[in-house]
Amino acid sequence: MDNEMILSFLAKSENESLARLAVTSFIAHLDPTIEELAECKTIVSEAVSNAIIHGYDGAYGMVTVHAILDGEVLSVSIKDEGRGIPDIESAREPLFTTKGHLERSGMGFTIMESFSDEFTIESHIGHGTTITFTKKFSPIQAIAM
Amino acid sequence: MKCKITMYPNEVAIIKLYGELDHHEVEKVRSQISSTILQGDLKTLIWNLEYLQFMDSAGVGLILGRMRELHAVSGRTIILNPSPTMEKIFRFSGLAAYMMHGGEEIAISQARGIVNG
Repeated sequence: MDNEMILSFLAKSENESLARLAVTSFIAHLDPTIEELAECKTIVSEAVSNAIIHGYDGAYGMVTVHAILDGEVLSVSIKDEGRGIPDIESAREPLFTTKGHLERSGMGFTIMESFSDEFTIESHIGHGTTITFTKKFSPIQAIAM
Repeated sequence: MKCKITMYPNEVAIIKLYGELDHHEVEKVRSQISSTILQGDLKTLIWNLEYLQFMDSAGVGLILGRMRELHAVSGRTIILNPSPTMEKIFRFSGLAAYMMHGGEEIAISQARGIVNG
């Protein structure tokens, strides 16, 4: 393992940008491409937004982002201790949302799965949800050579 | 996050978004954009994303929501200059047909149905 980071914050929407910034800084020295970086930020943003909107739904609680860097492979888990996902299969369906009235697009899981190399959801009703993804980066220098 | 709305004759509005558009920021700009649609005779909304540094699915929700409002007045939507990552997000969401690249003038011409060349 090359590096590790744990960040915990209150489930408030203004912390979505904090989570993105922390993960972005954590991988900065890998010299990721703009697109790799943007995809990684998007996954983190989707997962943290889900934890805040669905996991806690306005309730008090903490979201924890745990990132591990192993060579060029980043692995991140985003954990909440909220209500859990009753039906994971439906939640993964494109356009499925339980918060249509909040204009949620229902695309979060589709985007997270598409932008990551490996993606898992672990959820227990009443205990919370942990989303884990891995993404391999191809350093710009390596491509140039 | 900054949002600049410019109205043009013939019922066209261009929305320029700056900074990062996530669930938190969407909540702040939605009502401003909605009131532009609901006032007057707006027929086309052009989202210029050239200066937007980041967007997640909350941006899709924002645009889809405004498309529904525009639908009531038979209005149309153009998503202008999304980044490659945003393009993927719009494609996943079934919005590929609404995207285009180029200057605002071209988008306005397209909106007015005057396509040259």
